[in-house]
Amino acid sequence: MTFQNPTALLWFLPLATILFVLYLLKMKRRELRVPATFLWPQKTEEIRANSLFQRLRFSWLLVLQLLAVALATVALARPQTSRLGLTGEVTVLVLDASASMSANDVSPSRFESAKKLAREAIQGSSGGDRIALIEAGPSPRVVFPLGRDSARQASALNDLKGTDAPSDMGEALRLAAALVEGIDGARIVLLSDGRFPVVDDFVRGKAAVVYRRVGELSDNVGITALGLGDGPQGRQLFAGVKNYGPAATGGTLSLYADGKAIDSVDFKVGPSKVYGHTIDAPAGAKVLEARIKVNGDKLKADDYSVALADPGAALKVLLVTKGDPFLERALALDPRVTLDRAAELPADADGKYDVVVFDGIAESPVQARGVMTLGAAGPGSPVTARGSSKPRFESQAKDRILDGVPFDGVFVDKAEEATLAAGAKALVEASTGPLLAVREQPGKRQVYLAFDPLQSDFPLQPAFPIFVANALTYLGGEAGTSTLSVATGSTFSVPTTKEATLKGPETEATLKPRNGTAVVREAVRSGAYTLNVDGKERAVFASLRDAGESNIAPVDDLQLGGGAVKAQAAPRRFADFWRPLVALALLVLVGEWWLFVKRS
Amino acid sequence: MLSAREMRSLNGLRLTPRKSFGGKVRGERMTRKKGVSIEFADYREYTDGDDLRHLDWNVLARLETPVMRTYRDEEDLAVHILLDRSPSMAFGEPSKMDAARRFALAIGMIALAGGDAVYARALGAREPTPPVWRGRASWPRLQRWAERDVMDRPQTLSDGVREFAGSGARPGVVALMTDGLDPDFPSALRLLVGRGHEVWLVQTLSDLDLDPDLEGDLRLIDGEGGSPVELTANGAALAEYRKNLETHQTALQEACRRGGGHSVVVNAKESVDDVVKRAWRREGWVA
Repeated sequence: MTFQNPTALLWFLPLATILFVLYLLKMKRRELRVPATFLWPQKTEEIRANSLFQRLRFSWLLVLQLLAVALATVALARPQTSRLGLTGEVTVLVLDASASMSANDVSPSRFESAKKLAREAIQGSSGGDRIALIEAGPSPRVVFPLGRDSARQASALNDLKGTDAPSDMGEALRLAAALVEGIDGARIVLLSDGRFPVVDDFVRGKAAVVYRRVGELSDNVGITALGLGDGPQGRQLFAGVKNYGPAATGGTLSLYADGKAIDSVDFKVGPSKVYGHTIDAPAGAKVLEARIKVNGDKLKADDYSVALADPGAALKVLLVTKGDPFLERALALDPRVTLDRAAELPADADGKYDVVVFDGIAESPVQARGVMTLGAAGPGSPVTARGSSKPRFESQAKDRILDGVPFDGVFVDKAEEATLAAGAKALVEASTGPLLAVREQPGKRQVYLAFDPLQSDFPLQPAFPIFVANALTYLGGEAGTSTLSVATGSTFSVPTTKEATLKGPETEATLKPRNGTAVVREAVRSGAYTLNVDGKERAVFASLRDAGESNIAPVDDLQLGGGAVKAQAAPRRFADFWRPLVALALLVLVGEWWLFVKRS
Repeated sequence: MLSAREMRSLNGLRLTPRKSFGGKVRGERMTRKKGVSIEFADYREYTDGDDLRHLDWNVLARLETPVMRTYRDEEDLAVHILLDRSPSMAFGEPSKMDAARRFALAIGMIALAGGDAVYARALGAREPTPPVWRGRASWPRLQRWAERDVMDRPQTLSDGVREFAGSGARPGVVALMTDGLDPDFPSALRLLVGRGHEVWLVQTLSDLDLDPDLEGDLRLIDGEGGSPVELTANGAALAEYRKNLETHQTALQEACRRGGGHSVVVNAKESVDDVVKRAWRREGWVA
C-alpha cells in the first residue's frame, strides 16, 4: 500500500491533540441537592467539557473519536494499492488504428492484439471503474464514453477494424485528455506501436499516461513511390520500393495499367535501401497501379500504390487571400487539391502551381494552368474593372461551371462593374456587367467572379462548394475526370445535393450531403473504391503514402506533450480505497453518536 | 395534622405486636405473666401466702387438694415513636417530614386509644427524656410534640437510633418514622432489635427517592452532609440507583423481620387511610 498524499497523515497529531485537550477540560456540572448520595453511583461520562482541567479518564467516546480521526486522516493521505492491470478507476483506452497496427508480426495483427489487451482490461476492471475507448485512426473518435457497461464496451470494441491510414494521434490524445479533464487519478492508456509523429500539442492534465507497446518486428517492404514523368524518352512510370527491415529481402514488383499487367520484376533490396524500377508508360493509360509480393513482409497496407495519368486528377493550388475560411475549406476538401496559402503572390510562383486563386486581392500575372479571381480584377483578368456597385442579377448561361449553381438567389452587396476583355465570355450577367466570366487561352484558363464571396451570402449557400469544384475542374485543364486518387484515411468532399455511396475494400457507406457536399472519410483501406454521386460512378483509388507508417519498427520511448513516456510491459494499476475509509469513519461517528445519545 | 376522617378511621384500632412485653402498670393488654385480671390462665398448687380469693373451692371440695386459679396479667404496652428529623426528611412535596408526622400521630393515637404507654422521641432533636403518655387525654400533648420543628442537634439517623437503643428504654414496639436514607441504618436497626424491641419501620420516601427524574451531568450534594457525587444521569446510572435502593430496602426489611417487626415503604403523598388499609391492617400491625 502506498499513499498519494502521505503528509496528510501528520494531521492526525494536531487533531488527536485537540481531542485530548477537549477531554482534559473539566466539565462544570450542575449542582443538585438530594436527600442522600450513598445510593448514587459515581458514574460520570465526560461527554461535554467547558472548564479547565481534569484528569484524563478512559472514555469509549474518546476512543471512537480518535478512531474516526485516524480513519479520516488515513483517507486524506489517499492510500492506494497496486497490482498488475492496465486500467485505473477512470481510464481512457486509446487504441492506435493506424496502418502500421495492421502489421502481423504479432498474431493475428498488432491491432487485434491491442484489441485483446483492451478487452482484457475491460473484463479485468473493477465494478466501479469507468472506462472510455478512443479509436485513434485518421479521424479519431470516441467509441464509447466513460462508463461501466463492460458488456456493451466489449461489443463496441469487437466492431473495430483498424485502417490502412496514418493516425492523428495528437487529436486522439487531446480527446482523451478532454474526457478525463479534472479527474484525479485518471489514466490514459495508449495501446500502440508508437509509430506516429511526435505529439507536441498535448497536455495530459491530472491524468497519467501509460504506454503499452504492441508489436515486435520491423520486417516490412513497401512501395514508397509511384509516378509518371515526362522524359526525353517520353512518358515514363517510376516505382520505388523500400526495405524497412533489418535484413536484405526480395520479392516481385508488378505494374498495371488500367487494370492490365504491364510489367513484373523480381527485386532484391538491402536493409533501409530503396529499389527503383522505371518503364515506359503505356500511352493512353489513365490508372497505373503497382503491387509487390515479398516473403516475410509484415505489413500489406503499403504493398499497393496507384498513380493517375489524368493531370486534372491532382491539382496543386495556391490561394492568395487575406483569409476566407469558406473558400479554404471548399478547396481543402477537394480530393484533387494540394493547397498552399499566401497573403500575396510569391515571387517564385510561376510554373509551381496548377491553379492560382486570387481572393479579394488584385490578380497579378502568373504562370499557371488556371487562374481564378474573386472580386478584384487585375491586369491579366478576363475583364476590365471600372468601379463597384450593388449588382442586380439579370441572366445566367448554361455551362458546366454553373452546373448546380444558381446565381439568381445569391445576395451580393457589392460587385465590380466590369467590361469583358478580349476572348472572355460572361456566364452570369448582372446590372453591373458580367458577374461571372471565363476566358480560355492556350495553356491557360481563367475564371473571374465579380465579387468577394465574403461580401455576399454565396459561401453560405450549398452551391458554393459545387461552384468551387466545378471551377477547379475547368481550371484543371481537362474536360473532367471521373477518377480520384487519395491517401488512405484522407477526408475529401464531392459536390452533390443527393446521397452518395462508397463501396470498396471492407467498406460500404452511404454519404449524406450537407451544404452541397458529401464528405468522404471512409476510404481507410488501400485499394479501389467506387463512389456513386448523382448516379455517376467515380473510381477512387486509396493508397498508403506514408513512410512513417511503412516503418513499422515499434517505438519504446514516446514524446508526448514535451514529456517522455516509456513503454511498460506490465503496467500496474493503482486502486484508491479512501472511500471505504471515509465510510468507515462515518460509521464510527454514527456509533459514537449512538453511544453518546444512549449515555445521555 | 390528621383529618377528622382519618381520625375516625383510626378509631377502634389496636396495635397488635407480635411479641409480648412486660408492662409497668396494669393496663388493657394481656401478657404472658400470670396476673390478676379476670381472664383465666391455669391452675397451680397452693403455696403458703397465696391469696385465698383465688383458691378454687370447688376443686378443694371434690379432690381435697388446694388448687389455685391463675389469671393472665393485663399490662400496658410501651410504644416508642421515633420520628426522624434529619435534613433528608425535608425533601419532597409534600415533605417526608410532614408525612412522617402524620404516620407518627396515627400510631400514637391508636396506641393512646388502646391504653398503651406512648414514648415519643425526635431523632436529632435535643429533647429531655420523653414523658409517658397514656390514654386519649394525652392526644393534645402528642399533637404538640409532633408539630415541633426543631433540629437542633445534627445527628445521623443511625446515630440517633443507636443512642435510643443505648438509652435503656423499656422494651416495646418501636415505631420508626424515617426515610431510612443512611447507609448504616440497617446495622442500627439490628442493634435495636437486639435490645428486645419490636421494630415497626414506616419508611417514608418522596418521588425524588423512589423515581428520580434526573438528567444530564450533575454534582449531587448530600442533604445530610455526605460526600458529593459526580454523575452523568443516564439510563445506566438511574438503573444502578434503583438497584442500590432496592438492596438497601431489602436490608432494612430483613433487620426488622429478624426481630419480629414490620416494615413498609410509603410514598409521602399517600394518606394515612391508604397506608392503614394497604399495609397496617393487611400485615397485622393493627387490628
